[in-house]
Amino acid sequence: MSKRGKKVGSTLPKRDANVIFSRRAALMSFVGAGVMGAILFRMAQLQAENLISQQYTAAADENRFDTRIVPPPRGVIFDRFGTILAQTSKDYLVAVIQNDVDDMEEVVGRVATILGLDSEWARRAIIRVRGGSRYEPQPLKEGLTWEEFNAINVRLPELRGIVATSADVRAYPYDVVYAHPIGYVQKPTQRDVDLALEDPAAGAARAMYLRNPQVRVGKAGLEASMETVLHGDAGWRKVIVNARGVEQGEDETERREPVRGSGLVLTLDHELQRTAMQNFGEQAGSAVVMDIHNGDMLVMASAPGFDPNLFVNGIGQADFDAYNLDEKKPLYHKTVTGVYAPGSTFKMIVGIAAKQAGVEDDWHVSCGGGFYYGGRTFRCWQRNGHGRVNLHNALKVSCDVYFYQAALRAGPERIAAVSRQFGLGEVFDVSVPNIRAGLIPDPVWWRENRGEPWTGGLTVNYGIGQGAMGVTPLQLAVMAARLGNNGHAVVPRLVRDAPGVREPGPAPRMNGIEAEHLARVRDGMWGVCNEGGGTARRAGDLQLVRHPETGAAVEITPETRGWEPVQIAGKTGTAQVRALTDALRGRHYSTIEWRFRDNALFCCFGPWHEPRYACAVVVEHGGAGSSVAGPIAREIMRATLMRDPSRREPARLAELDAAIAGGRA
Amino acid sequence: MTASALFSSGGNTIFERFRKLNWQIITVLCAIACVGVMMHFSVSSGAWTDMPLTHGIRFAAAMSVILIAALVLDARFWLAIAYPLYAGALLLLVAVELFGATRMGAQRWLDLGPLSLQPSEFMKIAIVLALARYYHQLDARKTGTVLWIVPPFLMIAAPVGLVMHQPDLGTAMLILMAGLVVMFLGGLLWRIVAAGAVVAVGGAIFAYTSVLHQYQRDRVNVFLGITDDPLGAGYHVLQSKIAIGSAGLFGRGYLQGTQSQLDFLPEKHTDFIFTMIVEEFGLLGGFLVLGLFAALMGLTMQVALRARSLFGKLAAAGVAATVACYVFINTAMVIGLVPVVGIPLPIISFGGTAMLTVLAAYAIVLSIDLHRDQHGARGWLW
Repeated sequence: MSKRGKKVGSTLPKRDANVIFSRRAALMSFVGAGVMGAILFRMAQLQAENLISQQYTAAADENRFDTRIVPPPRGVIFDRFGTILAQTSKDYLVAVIQNDVDDMEEVVGRVATILGLDSEWARRAIIRVRGGSRYEPQPLKEGLTWEEFNAINVRLPELRGIVATSADVRAYPYDVVYAHPIGYVQKPTQRDVDLALEDPAAGAARAMYLRNPQVRVGKAGLEASMETVLHGDAGWRKVIVNARGVEQGEDETERREPVRGSGLVLTLDHELQRTAMQNFGEQAGSAVVMDIHNGDMLVMASAPGFDPNLFVNGIGQADFDAYNLDEKKPLYHKTVTGVYAPGSTFKMIVGIAAKQAGVEDDWHVSCGGGFYYGGRTFRCWQRNGHGRVNLHNALKVSCDVYFYQAALRAGPERIAAVSRQFGLGEVFDVSVPNIRAGLIPDPVWWRENRGEPWTGGLTVNYGIGQGAMGVTPLQLAVMAARLGNNGHAVVPRLVRDAPGVREPGPAPRMNGIEAEHLARVRDGMWGVCNEGGGTARRAGDLQLVRHPETGAAVEITPETRGWEPVQIAGKTGTAQVRALTDALRGRHYSTIEWRFRDNALFCCFGPWHEPRYACAVVVEHGGAGSSVAGPIAREIMRATLMRDPSRREPARLAELDAAIAGGRA
Repeated sequence: MTASALFSSGGNTIFERFRKLNWQIITVLCAIACVGVMMHFSVSSGAWTDMPLTHGIRFAAAMSVILIAALVLDARFWLAIAYPLYAGALLLLVAVELFGATRMGAQRWLDLGPLSLQPSEFMKIAIVLALARYYHQLDARKTGTVLWIVPPFLMIAAPVGLVMHQPDLGTAMLILMAGLVVMFLGGLLWRIVAAGAVVAVGGAIFAYTSVLHQYQRDRVNVFLGITDDPLGAGYHVLQSKIAIGSAGLFGRGYLQGTQSQLDFLPEKHTDFIFTMIVEEFGLLGGFLVLGLFAALMGLTMQVALRARSLFGKLAAAGVAATVACYVFINTAMVIGLVPVVGIPLPIISFGGTAMLTVLAAYAIVLSIDLHRDQHGARGWLW
């Protein structure tokens, strides 16, 4: 070992550790300075790049600025006198910020307890909330009452992560009353976004707008069809957000205020609409009241209604099922989409067609309870027969046999032509979606669609408004109006005042409808309501009298003795839903399953001395027109004539909108 | 060591020694700590929350302890405990390997009841002291022979391997670099340095292909531009570059950094605090803070050059190198020059361990400087 050690010592060069250290320490320091220089250079380089391209400044701005869309307040919908039917109001809601919650099940469970909701609700709410942002409030329950809102508020200190807040929401104060004509708004669906994106010009901006969680778009009724008028222009705010997207501040110089959507003034009269809906009670059907001169619809009722407020924040499955599975179809806008056989209410059309075909006033038919034609017997509803009847009496007692034969004399082409002149089978654009045309068949149509020739038997059935034909309650009202105004082609409308809506001119006289023919039919309708034996004798007696000076319709009191009665002219209808089997025939209607019972119809106009209003009522599976539809129409007409809304000063949109905007500011 | 020796070493009273402390280094350390408190006040969005207060109190407490240590303990003490400290640290690393607690995917901590230890931090100091002692005792001529290179290599390789396995790449790199610097300053032959460089490149390739964990490899890939993933591994660096690039010469202003204050910058209170400094105080602020560290390293190298014992020289220079590695890796990382490895900016980043490690190292530096005339008496204690 010693030898080796000696060898090592002798061969190695002399080295002084301190000298080596000093030299290398200096070298290390230079290296260190170089590294630091490189770091400083790189920092300066990043900023120099930015001076030229602004790429980092732009990226930082993109990070922190976010454009938030401010949904515009939606236009208010008014009735003709300014009653608010749909407006934007404050909704109280409880929301959760997931990031602040320690135990989701526990805290949502406590909210459920406070609101009196069950654990199933809590479970669903948690699932829904988990899909949203962790840092922004996610609504748990909307539409809280003030008491519920306060109950949550006082317990907030013990509910970490829960917030109680308010938001704008569309509200329908009369819920079921206007569910169908006005409809409702809802959150846009993915399909709405996709549709918006199909527009290459404005699609992207519109899609961005639709993705905003506060935005609602019209999904039914006027809310849907008048969307562009009602929704207004969105504003925006340039907000400063943090990395989690939570708003921290706002650049107010970049702010654009939203522009409120325009309001709508409808032709409806709230008092009458409510009366109409109330009179349906539990029954299903539709009622329309029209001004026979300008076409203003004062009532557009479809029963049963539904609560549109339930749809605004997304309707629950249970609520939706309750509506959707109901055999009375509350979600269905029966006024324009319900198509019914008109039954005996069609007899005025047949009467006019027959007159046009040359049927004389003294043409009588002998009714023995049935009419044998083409190898079968067509029965009259009065099995014992009506005896000898002319047009006037046939209408009054609704004799089927007379109109079987009148139809044969008029012919199906003429009947179809007159029907169309009176508005049957026509789509009237009353600004709501899904308006149906119904069906007025004629031999050409029959051959093209049924593939077989028209037969005389079909014509016979045509005479009493049965068979393939179908009309909507709206068309029935137009028919009554055109009879009431002596053959002027009045067109119904629902929106009175809105941007782009103009006052209609006077309705033109219908060609080929002779005043004499009309007068015969109208007299018959008067007889229905006012003569002995008329099928609507009871319903047609309004128990109203005319003030001798003002002409106003008032209720009968001892002081009104001797005043002229206020009368209406109308026609009942009882339409079969399906051909009665022998088993069903003759049974009392209450023993027949609801959905197989006859539809009850009634149409009328009044007051007789100076007609102004027409009314049509359809009661689905109600039974006889005289006993079910008539009384409803009576109450509606009574209210209409006493109120006489057409002679009152209607509201003006400009003033109403100004008041709303003022109240908001 | 008697009680009297504690209070009169080299004929100086403790008060004289207090006066003779390297106050320049202490001042720079305090200045850096002040920057830290300031930045944590800003991290807390301008509020005296726990964070800036804790940082300041922690620094003040640790500073007091190291001043007392520097006054009381002389260079011979550090020489004496160099090997035992290293052995202890190595044992603890083995213990971590066997019984350690796993936090955030890495097994770095030893839970001892209320106390939790991160032995890899001790090792940063222990490796410097142990290697300094090794070369201190070694005949300068022997440093050039292959045989005598083996022990220091093993001394470095053992802890580096253990720490890599935890896995903690950043700390392993710091230990490796500090050890290599001490070896180099200790007199490693140039041809061995050159050979080592070749081996290192080969090793890096080997490490990339077979040693590194997937997340580490991802970071390297993003850094090298092989993959581009702004929301994944590259997100931190991207946001950091945006903050630094958009800051301008004077920055957005104290408490005004949008990237930092709005939380786009991740880990702004720890690894990415330098980005926040640049964002709020601009290029000039960044230069100033780097200048403070440059001053600290310069002063530390001055201590090394002034020390008369090789142990003192190597220990002080080793500390300077360790701190320099911290600063360089951290700042290079936030501007995207090196992959993100999770190394804090010493005394500024929030967190007790790194601050304690660096300050403990400065207890040694201050002590060496105070007792720089002690020759370290080779043969003492052995």
